[in-house]
Amino acid sequence: MSILKLENITRDFYDGRQIRRVLHSTNLAFIPGELVVLSGPSGSGKTTLLSIMGLVLKPSEGKIYLNDKDLTQINDNEAAMLRLKYYGFIFQQHMLIEGLSVIDNILLAYAVQGSKVTAQQRQKAYGLLEKLGLKDTAHMQPLSLSGGMKQRVSIARALIKDPLILLCDEPTASLDAENGITVMKILKKSALEDQRIVLVVSHDSRVFPFSDRLIKIENGKIVSDTKENYQ
Amino acid sequence: MRLWVAIKIAIHDRSSTAGAVLGVVAIIFLVGQQLSVFFGLLNLMSVLPDHSNADVWIMSKNIRNSDSGNLISGAYIDRVIGISEVEWIEPLLIGSALFRRGDGSFEPVRVIGLRRPRIAGGPWSFHSSDEKVLLDLEAVVVDKLDLSKLGHPSLDEIGEIGEKRVRIGAIATGARGFQGTLLFAPLEKVREISKTPPGRYSALLVKLDEKSDKESVIKKIKDILPNCSVFSSQELSSLSRKYYITNTGIGGSFLFSTSIAIMIGVVIITLTMYTSVLSRKKDFALIRAIGGRKRDIFIIVVGEVFFITFIGIFVGFLLLSTLLSYTVNSQIPSYLPLKVAPLLALGAFIVSLIGSLFALKVALATDPASVFH
Repeated sequence: MSILKLENITRDFYDGRQIRRVLHSTNLAFIPGELVVLSGPSGSGKTTLLSIMGLVLKPSEGKIYLNDKDLTQINDNEAAMLRLKYYGFIFQQHMLIEGLSVIDNILLAYAVQGSKVTAQQRQKAYGLLEKLGLKDTAHMQPLSLSGGMKQRVSIARALIKDPLILLCDEPTASLDAENGITVMKILKKSALEDQRIVLVVSHDSRVFPFSDRLIKIENGKIVSDTKENYQ
Repeated sequence: MRLWVAIKIAIHDRSSTAGAVLGVVAIIFLVGQQLSVFFGLLNLMSVLPDHSNADVWIMSKNIRNSDSGNLISGAYIDRVIGISEVEWIEPLLIGSALFRRGDGSFEPVRVIGLRRPRIAGGPWSFHSSDEKVLLDLEAVVVDKLDLSKLGHPSLDEIGEIGEKRVRIGAIATGARGFQGTLLFAPLEKVREISKTPPGRYSALLVKLDEKSDKESVIKKIKDILPNCSVFSSQELSSLSRKYYITNTGIGGSFLFSTSIAIMIGVVIITLTMYTSVLSRKKDFALIRAIGGRKRDIFIIVVGEVFFITFIGIFVGFLLLSTLLSYTVNSQIPSYLPLKVAPLLALGAFIVSLIGSLFALKVALATDPASVFH
């Protein structure tokens, strides 16, 4: 049963002179428990597709369904609410807010709309940090962490709310091989054990062995969508 | 949590925060200083009606301030005293003359003649001696801050005003006039100095029974004395202040310098908040992407402005109070009424918000999709 479904999604951009279609009619469906890798060369439309799936960009045409609910006409606030409730994001750059401690960065995912952080949520954040090998960094500033540690903190921020969908934009791009593999192992485990959709956008071939499904995109079109275990 | 984020960001972003705080401090300090001088000057403009201890002033017809008018007849005293609500009525004579300094040079002064023994309308606060010295015909009272203009005469020193012998009997405080040095003396002495004919006065000061209706008594006096101006002390005070504000350029000058101070503050706040928000666009995009709404960004930015303004107001008032404590007994007329302070703080907050509008606009326009680029 698919949780997230895209139906004839397209996206056009105006480049200052003309309207350019960067994403052609796309149909995709995602089920929980699989790690999907979306791969393609630069400018192929991966990030556009990811942004539409993450409800941060509206499609020009087509429909997007989450738990069978049509999200095409939702407004900004509704989209924000859905992102808060169902989504987790991991970015190419760690995107941690300087000035907030590691634990505050993680808890921000809970409290971004102003709700109070409970002791239980705080405890969960500490637990997650311990699980990711960052137990002693809770009160440190992001500046004092290594690149790999920062990316693991951003994973903790994405996982803290147990999201249904985890969207990862080039999560290994700024990491060395060892840290990259560590991150992918965490994501794989998260997909399997927590039964969530994990979508990884990457053109790094090192991530392919972790995927349950590999979607290739070129010039805004899906050119292949294969379910194979590369491991 | 959003306000917590705002404060943490402001603390982390030290240089921008310090810049914006400087803007708020500039507004509080510069505008506060301008205001204190303005209120100090206002006090000088209406010093006589404000401290006369009288309820009603009777002066010649068509006067425009408390310092100038034709002489009026002393016969009016008998007419007014007949009103049952009148407790007392005392004449006041204002004259101009030259004070001869110790070195032989002259200083123009305004002499205020007070009738003994009540000496109503006289000095009210003293540095040395007291108002009783005016029971002596030759004694004059001068303000401490005006002593330097008179060549630093000491207490009991004999001097000359309009070629008439006087003695510095007491030194007052806060008894300075807007038009120049004030000297208080017995009425007869001032009549002698200013060569005013007997039975003529500059003003009549009336004290009313506490239980009386002031408005109705003023009306009665006006009916009795149709050829005079009759004001309550507050009305005369306001009239004098308005006259000097509009006719001396002080109002315009104050408005101009205050506007400049506000503009400097707004520019500093605008630039620092704008660059600060620009440098944190990615943070705002992240907040939007992980579920923050525009209103959450608004709360964070305004929270930051609130925090910065609070610090700026605190530092600004600290500096301002230091300045005022140093100038309170100086030649610079400075006085800031307590009720003005919260208005000034509110004004600084509003100006800070205005200064942050550009920054807010940039922050709210942040595209959450930009986190993926």
